[in-house]
Amino acid sequence: MASIVSVNSLSVSYRSGGRDVPVVHEVSWGVAEGRTLALVGESGSGKSTLAGTLLGHLRHGSRITDGSVHVDGKDVFALPARELRRLRGTTVAMVAQNAGHALTPSMRIGRQIEEVGGDVPVLDLLEQVRLPRPAELARRYPHELSGGQQQRVAIAMAIAARPKVLVLDEPTTGLDVVTQRSVLDLIGALRDELGLAAVLVSHDLGVVARMADEVTVLRSGRVVESAPTRRLFTAPQDPYTRRLLASVPRLDDAGLALVGETGEREIRPRAVLSPEAEVAVSARDVTIDYGSSRAVHGVSFDVRRGEVLALVGESGSGKSTLAWTLAGLRTSSGGTMIHASGDLARLAGKRPLDLRRRVQLVFQNADTSLNPRRSVGDAVRRPLRFFGTVQGRTQAAARARELISDVRLDPALADRLPAQLSGGQRQRIGIARALAGGPDVLIADEITTALDVSVQADVLRLLDDLRRERDLACLFISHDLAVVRGIADRVIVLRHGVVVEEGPTEAVFAEPGHPYTRQLMAAALEPDPDARPLAADVADWADAAEPDSVWTDHGHGHRVRRWRPVTTDGTVPTERTVTTEGVA
Amino acid sequence: MTTLDTAPVAAPVASATRAARAWRTLRSSRTALVGLTIVAVHVLIALLAPLLTSYDPVANDASHALLGPGWEHWAGTDQYGRDVLARVLYGGRYALGVSVAATVLTVALGTVVGCAAALRGGWLDDVLGRVLDAVLSVPSILALLVIVTALGTGPAVIVLAIAVVYVPQVVRVVRGAALAVVPADYVTAARARGERTWSILWREILPNITDVVCVEFAMRASWVVLLISSLSFLGFGADPPTPDWGLMVAENRTAITVVPMASLAPIIALATLVVGLNLAADGLSKAWGVDRIREGS
Repeated sequence: MASIVSVNSLSVSYRSGGRDVPVVHEVSWGVAEGRTLALVGESGSGKSTLAGTLLGHLRHGSRITDGSVHVDGKDVFALPARELRRLRGTTVAMVAQNAGHALTPSMRIGRQIEEVGGDVPVLDLLEQVRLPRPAELARRYPHELSGGQQQRVAIAMAIAARPKVLVLDEPTTGLDVVTQRSVLDLIGALRDELGLAAVLVSHDLGVVARMADEVTVLRSGRVVESAPTRRLFTAPQDPYTRRLLASVPRLDDAGLALVGETGEREIRPRAVLSPEAEVAVSARDVTIDYGSSRAVHGVSFDVRRGEVLALVGESGSGKSTLAWTLAGLRTSSGGTMIHASGDLARLAGKRPLDLRRRVQLVFQNADTSLNPRRSVGDAVRRPLRFFGTVQGRTQAAARARELISDVRLDPALADRLPAQLSGGQRQRIGIARALAGGPDVLIADEITTALDVSVQADVLRLLDDLRRERDLACLFISHDLAVVRGIADRVIVLRHGVVVEEGPTEAVFAEPGHPYTRQLMAAALEPDPDARPLAADVADWADAAEPDSVWTDHGHGHRVRRWRPVTTDGTVPTERTVTTEGVA
Repeated sequence: MTTLDTAPVAAPVASATRAARAWRTLRSSRTALVGLTIVAVHVLIALLAPLLTSYDPVANDASHALLGPGWEHWAGTDQYGRDVLARVLYGGRYALGVSVAATVLTVALGTVVGCAAALRGGWLDDVLGRVLDAVLSVPSILALLVIVTALGTGPAVIVLAIAVVYVPQVVRVVRGAALAVVPADYVTAARARGERTWSILWREILPNITDVVCVEFAMRASWVVLLISSLSFLGFGADPPTPDWGLMVAENRTAITVVPMASLAPIIALATLVVGLNLAADGLSKAWGVDRIREGS
């Protein structure tokens, strides 16, 4: 088969501070018609730069130093501007990472798609990307659509002019697992229908395993390994690829995986929790409102010292709201939250100092959680002084250096500004800052979501070490079931602010009782092209909880909110007695 | 764990890099450099006035009234026989002194109030916004005249009056800049620690809006200089015989056909100072803006 895209020993450098910094180094690859190639790498590997070159796009300040890019037989960077414009759209089209930003907010969806040109009517396109009621949707504005719908519109725009090559730059990053799954299915279907060649840029090996025919692994602008998908995932040759693959948490890990230099995995058994461990935080029927809408409906849980309790759910499930409320940044509208040293129902400013010190929050985005104008040492010293943990400047400085080395960083980093640190290092400083008060409850709000997979593994391991060393009660909030599986002792699954299932991690993963849990597990993508989903796809269901019988008990603290199946034609079986039994 | 991953870059002390970066930014903008140089020259002249001229700026000398430019008096003399050049050189003292005092007060007040409004939000922000709107709807020179008429002239009153007139505008600008910082997680972290508003403002917000405040300072200073001179010109600012540029224009405009330099010289001095301040503000804001884009913030 002929190559429709071929990149020949391409080098790109970026001009910074008066010298050339190479970002892509003699990279060669190609895609045959109708095939899908994935460019995989961590941040800074040059994968997005490479994808951009297919459309003749280079970031401001970078230039091609060597090599060429041919698409459909044309040398992209030798084309005159007019030809290049024609190439974009009719031959190559791109779907960007964040569809919300790629759409013009003040233009109706229909007009926006029309503007791309192409002969396919807008409504046909919308139907093609499986959007319901296209005629109505075409009249809406981007902000009236959900993230998944926006991404579908962006895909519709990309295929409007019937291109031959589709460039997908992290097409599902930032989407929920369930939405991600459906968008990926759509892309796969369109690719086959239209016979497109696709270039998929992703850091997510699960996505790659599902979508790609061939994979090219990049690291610091160089090709590490290039192979057909199945061979790459079953027999990776390069140590870096092996380590990358090994770092991905799996749904069937019984504990946290420790990854060696050459990619061997060793599963560390979960910490054994003593049955007498005291309860650090106890929440009963907590409800939280945003104005008139209720974000969290009556959630109850206990977290014990040394235990990791995971809150799992999609965005909008209320898990972060709950975290912020515990940290005293929002008020609850009902229920009680009790800590051993005080009531957590009050806002942080009104809590006694000792209580504030004991409940600490680590933020999702390490980039914005540190003040860019203050050194990282200062970020750790401030809570030390503020909570009165240490007296005097020199002691604070010494203790801060200790804390920085406790999170496995070089204490010499204390004088750096956050911008001089990597994402993983910044997240560790965020953890060190939370530890400064000497907390016994740590609330980790999606702390690994923004990190690369190998860095994520390190941070998870650090968190696991810390809770063992310091006997921390840890509330671990995540949308990623595979991450939760390795680190959490117990899991609570939240859906629209309601707990649908809770129980020990092993029990929940072995026998997911609620259809929503099963849906989440079915949507999770494993880095293995032959992976069979841990749970089968689920039929429609409806909530069947009643005031006096909310739960179906599965023993050992594993309980599932009552539900009943709904037949596909929309009718609800009338005999409730038959179906209130949760199906395991 | 084996991740004691120190990047190969040498670790510089944070404050040193900040100063170095500020200097680099400054040097990269010719506009800012030219503007700041003009302002610096003005400051130097005002400070060194007694060394630059041997004439007394307030001593009358009827025998030498209304002379044209010559070897004795480079810029001529006014109707009272005072040396125009000496009065222009000394005039900078009043203009700069009052302007700097007024601008410092205005920007300081405006920054604190603006940050506090952004940080606290809620009813405080709403009420403050409406009050400021009301103040902003009054033309500044009118408000100024009302205050000066009510409280009398004198530098202290003028400084106060200018603060009343210009603080709302500074609050607007600073509040906007601070609003971009407030949602950041490091501010949230400080809130979760239960820090006081003042310490969040000082430690977390202010360091991240210093560039906005600096530009606002330079911009505001040029407006203040003009406003003070207008006041003097109208007779509400400096009292005669204080050497002041606005006052000089007012005193000598009747004799403009006889000794044009007596009006022209203070105008040139005033114009160069305002242009200098404007260039500095413009250059700084651009240089910092570019800087921010490069940093990706």
